[in-house]
Amino acid sequence: MELFNNLIFGFAVALSWQNLLYCMIGVSVGTLIGVLPGIGPLATIAMLLPITFNVAPVGALIMLAGIYYGAQYGGSTTAILVNLPGETSAVVTCIDGYQMARQGRAGPALAIAAIGSFFAGTVGTLLIAVAGPPLAELALKFGAPEYFSLMLMGLVAAAVLAQGDMIKSLAMVAMGLLLGIVGTDVNTGVQRFSFGITELSDGIGFIVVAVGVFAVGEIVANLGDPEERRVFTEKVNNLMPSWNDLKQSIMPIIRGTAIGSFFGVLPGTGPAIASFASYMVEKKVAKDPSRFGKGAIEGVAGPESANNADAQCKFIPMLTLGLPASGVMALMLGALTIQGIQPGPDVMTTRPELFWGLIASMWIGNALLVVLNLPMIGIWVKLLKVPYRLLFPAIMAFSAVGIYSVNTSSFEIYLTALFGVIGFIWIKLGCSPAPMLLGFVLGPMMEEHLRRAMLMSKGDPSVFVTRPISLGFMIVTALILVVMIAPAVRRRRVDIAG
Amino acid sequence: MLTKRSLLLTAAGLLVALTTSVAAQSDYPNRPVRLIIPFPPGGSNDVVGRVIAQHLGEALGKQVIVDNRSGAGGVVGTEVAAHAQPDGYTILGISLAHAVNPWLYKLPYDPIKAFAPVGIMGKGPVVLSVHPGLPVHSVKELLALAKQKPGDLQYASAGVGSFQHLSAELFKLTAGVDILHVPFKGGGPAMIDVMGGHTKVMFSSLVQTTPNIKSGKLRALGVGSTERSKILPDIPTIAEAGVPGYASENWWGIVAPAGTPAPIIAKLHEALTKAQASPEAQKYFDTEGATIVSMSSEEFGRFMVSEMNKWEQVVKKGGIKAE
Repeated sequence: MELFNNLIFGFAVALSWQNLLYCMIGVSVGTLIGVLPGIGPLATIAMLLPITFNVAPVGALIMLAGIYYGAQYGGSTTAILVNLPGETSAVVTCIDGYQMARQGRAGPALAIAAIGSFFAGTVGTLLIAVAGPPLAELALKFGAPEYFSLMLMGLVAAAVLAQGDMIKSLAMVAMGLLLGIVGTDVNTGVQRFSFGITELSDGIGFIVVAVGVFAVGEIVANLGDPEERRVFTEKVNNLMPSWNDLKQSIMPIIRGTAIGSFFGVLPGTGPAIASFASYMVEKKVAKDPSRFGKGAIEGVAGPESANNADAQCKFIPMLTLGLPASGVMALMLGALTIQGIQPGPDVMTTRPELFWGLIASMWIGNALLVVLNLPMIGIWVKLLKVPYRLLFPAIMAFSAVGIYSVNTSSFEIYLTALFGVIGFIWIKLGCSPAPMLLGFVLGPMMEEHLRRAMLMSKGDPSVFVTRPISLGFMIVTALILVVMIAPAVRRRRVDIAG
Repeated sequence: MLTKRSLLLTAAGLLVALTTSVAAQSDYPNRPVRLIIPFPPGGSNDVVGRVIAQHLGEALGKQVIVDNRSGAGGVVGTEVAAHAQPDGYTILGISLAHAVNPWLYKLPYDPIKAFAPVGIMGKGPVVLSVHPGLPVHSVKELLALAKQKPGDLQYASAGVGSFQHLSAELFKLTAGVDILHVPFKGGGPAMIDVMGGHTKVMFSSLVQTTPNIKSGKLRALGVGSTERSKILPDIPTIAEAGVPGYASENWWGIVAPAGTPAPIIAKLHEALTKAQASPEAQKYFDTEGATIVSMSSEEFGRFMVSEMNKWEQVVKKGGIKAE
């Protein structure tokens, strides 16, 4: 019952009018920056840091946390409406969310994204409260070999992402892996494919690639095909999801939440991996996988839940171990340090109002986000009626501002434009960009972990099968391969026989 | 908030281009000052810079805006500052990396001649710690183990050329031992790995490490400062624990582009001294296990040169390369 008392204590802290106000400000700002691509929670929290000097630590943390998870909500909005991923984690939502919007189902897509996120946020919050410290211990069991095996499994499973032509999908994965190589090598510090351009020495930004191939590429393609655009604004059906939509989404939301929580606990996995994993699972378990990529509601419900669960669970390593899993978490630790609080394992006992107040506020924040977002859907959908001659330039301008703000670099805007052209060519060639992005995300991390594992084992590859967790992932990877290859082999036999 | 910032930045840029540096000396500052931090938000450079910037602004009477220009280990942002108008409206927050980068990268600027030193903000030592499963309880035992099996022990660092990496290489050179370097992308991931017992030894900034030392998840063997740290008084310095002469501390300071008028430098130095005395700065440095340091602008200039010479030896003898 201690947990119950703690939670009540937390709610008492979070429901004070100041803290409620900070929570409200946080999630509103978060939603706003989530909508804009590029301008992410990192830059926003950094800018607001001085303001928190004069705020009580609990209030400061509540507000900053609100910005962070609010951005996950907002990120999906533009992904669904105009194929523009507002945040890294919303990239996967583009795939089916945007197709739903094109079919006049932007309302249900937005609503399901909000509902899924709320459910995931609730579960994530509970998880931190109930099992934070043991989960953090679990995360420590993951070393380089485990991360590598996990990511190898993800990459093999990526074949599931393939739509239509398998060869094209594999080529796109390879393309992503190659793009991911650009930049400074972690182990030796050597520059790869940066051609002496300083801006490329830290690699190509994910948001640059994503906005380029999704948003810009799509706009260019649409300009060449004005007929198509007209279709999707004229038939906007109901705003809220139907009973059938909800029924279809329940399981994906639950699965997405579970997947997101798993990846969230592991500090060595970046954003977007959880959403990709959830999408692949949904496509695999679906009765009719061919609906994916054409506006399947499961393809929105699962990944949106996963990315919110991931965002919530990223607090676990920070709150229980004082370790930042990302730049955002590092800034929150900084905010606490400025207040004279040493973040770490003893925060829970020495500053219970901070720990439990934050947890309670996260749940309140998630509820606020649903309340804020559901009535907004009608307004968002009306945005689609804006004529394209106004909408397109606006999207381009927002994208440019957002991307510029990440590193104050005009080079990245040119790079986005280049990826826009490449994205257009891919659309014309019928190559889906999703497998490319997965390769782009996983490639550099896989390489980093592989080489670190080899360094630590002095070049002995058996580490991948002698460590139990790693072995488990390797076995699953092998099983996935068998399951994928078996039908093909059988088909060939039938072909030969026939 | 955001648009306001970008507007201000654009406006500041335009003004820099239009005004001559002579015009605005006596009434300096009459518009916001830009503090370039050549690292992304979230790291110690950024947070130290922001804490100081807030109070620097109060002391100057005009806002000091932090502008993160990260990339290439700090080279990108430093280059921007090196080529900015020397009118006091662009200043740069630097750290130890500034004295190390000349030996790692081909720089598009001269790290000493392109800048006029303003002052140092503070110093924070490195801490040497091990996973509790490793059967060593002191620096001497660690040295014995490393000598017993050369190249078998591994240490985690925040990346090639990082403060943590250099501190470890300095340790290896001074003590004459061989410990294998395992680089990570940042101090956080490195620490998680050591806490999990995958890599066993770590050199990290005291800042991040203290809570896990106190909770027993890491065992601290020594600190890199010349005196014991106030927040971990039981931990000896590495020098007293068996590696005489060893000292490795990160530092943060402010410089302006070379040619910035002396009265403006003096005004900035005075404001920096006031900012260092603010309760937020005190609290932040205390909690971090760092110390606020005061030097005159000239002293800081000499300090930078001595740091460059010190780390040149480490980079060259340790065979560290980034290009």
